[in-house]
Amino acid sequence: MNALIRYTFATTVHAQRYLAPVLLFCAGVGISSGNNSGPLPGVYALNAAISLVCATWLTIAVISVEDPVHRAITVVAARSPIRVLAATVAVSALLALGLTVIGLVMPLVLSPRPVSAADLPAGALAHLLCGSLGIAIGLVCSRLVFRRQGYALLVALALAAAALLTTGSPPNTLFKRMANTSDAGDVLPLALALLPAGLAALAVAAVITHVVSVRRD
Amino acid sequence: MLSVEAVSKRYGGGNWVLREVDLTVEPGAVVAIVGGNGSGKSTLLRLMVGVSRPTLGQVSGRPDVVGYVPERFPPNERLSALAYLGHLGRIRGMTGEAAAERAEELLERLDLQGGFDSQLRTLSKGNAQKVALAQALMVPPGLLVLDEPWSGLDADAHGVLATIIAETAAAGGAVVFTDHRESVTRANATRIHRIHDGRIAAAIAPERAIVEVALSRPDSDAEDPGWDDLDGVVTAVTHQGQLFVRVDRAHSDALLAVALRHGWSIDSVTPEKAAS
Repeated sequence: MNALIRYTFATTVHAQRYLAPVLLFCAGVGISSGNNSGPLPGVYALNAAISLVCATWLTIAVISVEDPVHRAITVVAARSPIRVLAATVAVSALLALGLTVIGLVMPLVLSPRPVSAADLPAGALAHLLCGSLGIAIGLVCSRLVFRRQGYALLVALALAAAALLTTGSPPNTLFKRMANTSDAGDVLPLALALLPAGLAALAVAAVITHVVSVRRD
Repeated sequence: MLSVEAVSKRYGGGNWVLREVDLTVEPGAVVAIVGGNGSGKSTLLRLMVGVSRPTLGQVSGRPDVVGYVPERFPPNERLSALAYLGHLGRIRGMTGEAAAERAEELLERLDLQGGFDSQLRTLSKGNAQKVALAQALMVPPGLLVLDEPWSGLDADAHGVLATIIAETAAAGGAVVFTDHRESVTRANATRIHRIHDGRIAAAIAPERAIVEVALSRPDSDAEDPGWDDLDGVVTAVTHQGQLFVRVDRAHSDALLAVALRHGWSIDSVTPEKAAS
């Protein structure tokens, strides 16, 4: 499994397709965490929202990097399409973790402000929730499920918008609480309770992607 | 033993690509699948290696180590040939060191031009095909599946490929390949299946007469005339100091003349039995 993750990571890094979403994220975080951007929980909520969109893009990039024929060779070498998909998810998760670090640290670097003990954990949980949802959307909108990239883009935008803007969706619920509090300790229990929802969505998306891609091949 | 039982395949709601295909490939067999464009050859190979699943029927008895060489090796990979093979070796469970060693050995044997360390995307079609072949051989395969492996390879590599196929079969591996040229399938396969319109025909034994010539060097002065390049040579393998050349009967006399002229000594000449 380690070898597969290393290979997937190497092809992703060499193809440099990860750069655009990472730069977009840095730009977004730079804007959201400038001066006068208010209390830290609100900033982290906004950064997490941007990370959802960027994690979706990153996941699609990780999958698109490998040509279907190369992927077929890898599947034969790894002896299972599930393991190849798992490596894809692992690499996407590593990249999403990188976004999380950027999203948490950059606001503190750009404009130093008081940090409470609960700020970082609450922000990290919000990022992880959005990262897992972003990877989930990226998986079901990848080439493994959609042949036509235009349709995939439209569906990805619709799903990301729905996840972020629908009242009652986990990120939306969490963001509203984070935006209206200056003490992150208040939202910590909610953030902790919502993370499993994100991970469950990721698991369901991985199963859907596997079933569809295997049926299609 | 790999067995394909009553396999039918179609993509989505499209036409049937394969219908009721039955085929078994026993260890040591070299099976050629011939047929026109779009006859379902590539689809059958994809089913055999497990990249694709049958719509009906089943494929069973696939060996643990399968080598798959697709028809075209897309040149969009930015890794170098050595790095790519190293990764695939590790995915197959080799240590990094063993994978690097094996990769270098295979690339040297296949005579990869254009640099072991240059990006795959810069390689020519034939050289990319050599890398595709090498990745399938990183671990000696129990089943080697090659989709039009000769296309794009230069004449030198043709001989090496024929030898690799013979070696894999001799080591107990099953080999399945496609090609549309009669001369190639006749020379390399122990069994030929024709596929037409998604249906596969019963096996035909290739009609050929192959002679195995065993040669040795009485002294080290004997020159190497480049056995693989001689007319009619199917394989040339050195085994325990002796060189075994399998050659088409029509060219065996010429080969013997060349061997004597270069100072080799002929140990035996044995007609090979046509496999049934």
